[in-house]
Amino acid sequence: MDFDLNETLADMLGAIKGAVSDNWDEVRSTANQFIERRKERLNLLAELRLAKEISEEKFLSTLEDEKDLLEAELHAIAVISKAIAQKAANAAIDILGKAVKAALSAAL
Amino acid sequence: MKSILKSVLPVFFLLAFISCKVQFVPEYNAEISKQIDTSAKMVDKLYLEMLETTMPEQREFAKYAKEYVAVEVELNSLLNKNKIRPLNEHSTKICEITLKKWIKYKQEHKNEYETSGSYPNGNIKINRVYMRDFFNAMIIAENAKKIISEEEN
Repeated sequence: MDFDLNETLADMLGAIKGAVSDNWDEVRSTANQFIERRKERLNLLAELRLAKEISEEKFLSTLEDEKDLLEAELHAIAVISKAIAQKAANAAIDILGKAVKAALSAAL
Repeated sequence: MKSILKSVLPVFFLLAFISCKVQFVPEYNAEISKQIDTSAKMVDKLYLEMLETTMPEQREFAKYAKEYVAVEVELNSLLNKNKIRPLNEHSTKICEITLKKWIKYKQEHKNEYETSGSYPNGNIKINRVYMRDFFNAMIIAENAKKIISEEEN
């Protein structure tokens, strides 16, 4: 049976690297968007408080909302990360499958 | 017979393994994505109407109660749909947080008007931005599943 484990492992690693790097921009652009929106919100919050358009109580309550929003955003990034991991794992399994099938076909 | 089984079984299991796909997130759901967008628009419309068409003292909670409830119904529906999907704990959590915030903002409007006889522009402006971004987190989580579904097919 003609099956080169080292070559297959190298191909699997290449597939994982490719899947992760192809999708890394998705994580980076989303994280950047979240940071920009955070700046915008905190700026608005400070402006509204300084202009006395919101009360001290509302200001403090909104800071609590900010913590919850950070949690929600981290959950969103977790979904992207898991989706990338899924794509990478399946790409590696595909490589292994193709290599084994090719070796089996050659042996039969 | 035993020796044949011994040599065939590992190959069988290997073939079974390599035919598998791992799954860490559920499939993209277009219906849920559309519902998130619709709910976000409902919230935006409610807040913009309040800001553009009324003065703070004209914003009796009762006038807007139906719209608050309509959004809450949509968020409850989204939460239930997310909960029943396997591997979907992150989207479920985002939805739970968003619903909790919406109920908080609804209650804030009610209490504020009852105690002061008005509902300030500042509260509307800041709540509008926060709700926009909670919905944004929800849609990003759903769209991540879309990208993977498209790329794997």
